[in-house]
Amino acid sequence: MSSVSFSAVGLVYPGGAPGLTDIDLEIADGEFLALVGPSGSGKTTLLRTLAGFLAPTSGTLRIGGQVVADGTRSTPPEDRRLGMVFQQHAIWPHWSVGRNVEYPLRLAGTARRERTARVREVLDLVGLGGLEARNPATLSGGQRQRVALARALAARPRLLLLDEALSALDEPLRDRLRLELRALTASMGLTVLHVTHDRAEALALADRVAVLDGGRLQQVDAPEALVRRPASALVARFLSDATVLPGTRDGAGFTADGHPCRVPAQALSDEPGGTGRGSLAVLPDDVELLSPAGADRSQVGIVASSLFGRDASDVVVTWHGLDVRCRTRGPRPSVGEAVRVGVRRAVFYLDVAAARQPVAPATGVLA
Amino acid sequence: MSSSADTLVRGPAGGRAPHGLDTGRGRPDGVLGLRLALWLVCAGVVLLPLAVIVALGLSADRLQLLLQGDVLEAGRNSLVSALVSAAGAVAVGTALALLVERTDLRGRGALRLLALSPLLVPPFVGAIAWIGLAGPASTVNRAWTEATGGPLWVVYGGDGVVFLLVVHGFPVAYLVVAAALRRIPSDLEQAARTSGAGPWRTVRDVTLPLLRPAALSAFTLVAISNLADFGIPSIVGLPEGYVTLSTLVYRYLQSGTVDAPLEVVATIGMVLLALAVLGVLLDVVAGRSRWELEASATASAPVSLGRARALASTVTWVLVAGVTLLPLWALATQALLPAPGVPLTWDNLTLDSLTRALTAPTTVTGLQNSLWLSLLAGVVCAAVGLAIATLVTRTRSRDNGALRAVAMLPQAIPGLVIAVGWLVLAPRIGLFNTPWLILAAYVTAFVALVVQTVSAPLRATPLTAEEAARVAGASRLRAFVDVSARMALPAATTGGVLVVLTAVRELTISALLLSPGSQTLGVAIFNLQQAGAYNAASALSLLVTIVGLAGARLAARQAA
Repeated sequence: MSSVSFSAVGLVYPGGAPGLTDIDLEIADGEFLALVGPSGSGKTTLLRTLAGFLAPTSGTLRIGGQVVADGTRSTPPEDRRLGMVFQQHAIWPHWSVGRNVEYPLRLAGTARRERTARVREVLDLVGLGGLEARNPATLSGGQRQRVALARALAARPRLLLLDEALSALDEPLRDRLRLELRALTASMGLTVLHVTHDRAEALALADRVAVLDGGRLQQVDAPEALVRRPASALVARFLSDATVLPGTRDGAGFTADGHPCRVPAQALSDEPGGTGRGSLAVLPDDVELLSPAGADRSQVGIVASSLFGRDASDVVVTWHGLDVRCRTRGPRPSVGEAVRVGVRRAVFYLDVAAARQPVAPATGVLA
Repeated sequence: MSSSADTLVRGPAGGRAPHGLDTGRGRPDGVLGLRLALWLVCAGVVLLPLAVIVALGLSADRLQLLLQGDVLEAGRNSLVSALVSAAGAVAVGTALALLVERTDLRGRGALRLLALSPLLVPPFVGAIAWIGLAGPASTVNRAWTEATGGPLWVVYGGDGVVFLLVVHGFPVAYLVVAAALRRIPSDLEQAARTSGAGPWRTVRDVTLPLLRPAALSAFTLVAISNLADFGIPSIVGLPEGYVTLSTLVYRYLQSGTVDAPLEVVATIGMVLLALAVLGVLLDVVAGRSRWELEASATASAPVSLGRARALASTVTWVLVAGVTLLPLWALATQALLPAPGVPLTWDNLTLDSLTRALTAPTTVTGLQNSLWLSLLAGVVCAAVGLAIATLVTRTRSRDNGALRAVAMLPQAIPGLVIAVGWLVLAPRIGLFNTPWLILAAYVTAFVALVVQTVSAPLRATPLTAEEAARVAGASRLRAFVDVSARMALPAATTGGVLVVLTAVRELTISALLLSPGSQTLGVAIFNLQQAGAYNAASALSLLVTIVGLAGARLAARQAA
């Protein structure tokens, strides 16, 4: 078991396209870190850099304090002592289950008797005890993924890498395996990097979640903090489907550009604070839908969609050209209904980030 | 399209099926009619000539003929040369596929094209070229004889036959193995790397075992096609008395040294047929254990050869260029020199051989015959192949597998056997001594080429395309014509061009089915070579090769 440390790691593809820029990330010994981001954000690039399939072009990458890549040299994957589970399980079809799981031990030079014992042990661990002799083709998708996990754990790796490891499975099975995986890695004290496009999965499983976009780390934090205090409008939008509006903040509150939305100062969160031009992020939970009676016409929107959810309905209101995402408890509004949109709480981000990367077009659809 | 679409085909089964799309099976409709027609065509073109061989071979009770000294020796030579050359071709093809498709070897794109170029050169042309390079009168061997008293290596004889069969077989093995290699998900190899295996260990433990089924298919494919190759053993083997079954059959048919040559030849053909069927069965049995590989998410990064890169690149390039470019160069010089052995200087270069070869009446008729025969064969094969391939990949029926197998069967059968079948059949259907016989044999031999070209892309498209057409109101036949066949058309055109390119340079079938006035280009070159007109034969060979290259470019552009 070991820690991982990325310091100022950058990767530029041979064609000149940047893959990763200035990544600083520490994964503590025994920590379960989930990596999320929109597609094309560099998640897989980061994982494959850690695995050794890609070599960073700058910065230093350490595993367990030992430098494995420094921009000029890169330890090949086979010498990094890793376990990795792939999205498509990658079970070798020409070998039995036992032989698959045994292979890393064989390469590590483990004695035969010990290998057999260890294979039995890890197969028991993933709930496939006694299936050593089976042909992988006869297993179900979930069982194959368990074999892949057993294979990754067999040689007691320093680090477990999960590349969308659960994404190819069906929903109820994925849920169950998610729970088992968390319990297993926690009991073994494994350091895990889990790449996923499933935000709920990342938040549910991880000790900390890293949000990546455009090859840069946007925020690394515990799940609660990420949801409550997103570091930027972008993170709020990606993780929580926040509605983002460009505009100006002054002493009185927030005024949107070309949109009737106004938010008084007391509804704006104190952090990060500051006045000037920037973006406002409104989390779906902080939007309330009120009766349109007596309201100014500019404050009224039309319900565009209304989906049932277990604890709250997922409603999209088109308000003056802007799609506002909200989660409402209580009676579910019907599509076409007129509602007044109220903002209970919102976070304003000054335009440092927005200047670098325009967060929202003035009349954009941001749901 | 829309107005005629509604009025065209709306037979009894054409109305919308009330319970599911797959109904109509067994009920008479257009697709069923097409299926019956295609079965009839296959029976006439494929099954009949083969059945005739078996019937004649068995009825004549000439099995003891096979144990005759000549036949026994030729059979042994054929078998040994086919097996050894196939093993060699698979070894070379696999090694090259791994190097080119999986490592950072220099100039891989160009190397791939170069390695595949022997496919464009008919084997008998390759043999003529290699005589220029390693024949007893070649520059290299003469220089070596002057220096040491004996030639370095003469291509004549059994070793030369095997060598040339390898040279012409390895590109096929390369294609088969490289296609399989591309289907192996890179995840499987990366999983081995993260398990602690180095790049070479990964190749040994994961990649090669996964390639085994493809390598075995390539082996049977090359072995069967080499089993009865005519051009190479007759040009390179015969001068040293190395007789194979195909050259023996040719001699029997041409010289009439045996009684009832047709029956003897049919018996030999039957044995070859049995060997071919055995090979196919072997391939099918081995294919049973083939595993389903899922598509890979990530492209695999080429394995770095490290310090060995420069050396490996140089060695591979020299070897591949040596077996592909050198013979062409030899062919070109022979074509431009007035006689063999004349030193290569600017003053000696002449276009005489070329003009003489081209203006000779035999060449002109050969060229004309080859052109119209191959064009007709291309059109017929494209049409029949399109219909068969589309039917078996895009409809559901229990006999699909059988129909496809029958259509593909000739690909696994030596051209020699097909020629003999038609030869036996000819007098009974009134085609004896006519060029139509050659056309019929071409169609038998090459329809599989189109079926294969069309099936591959069609299988990748889900059947929902036709189901959508049925839901939109098309009958089965209508959906078949408008959706399935339309999708298959580009591939069928490419397949047709491939047939023309193959047929125009064909030798085995044309040589055996030769009748007065039906000599083809291949036969013309072969006769020039046999008559000792090496330079004229080389000149024509060079032209054939250039035409092949140009045609391949055309085919590649159409496919793109």
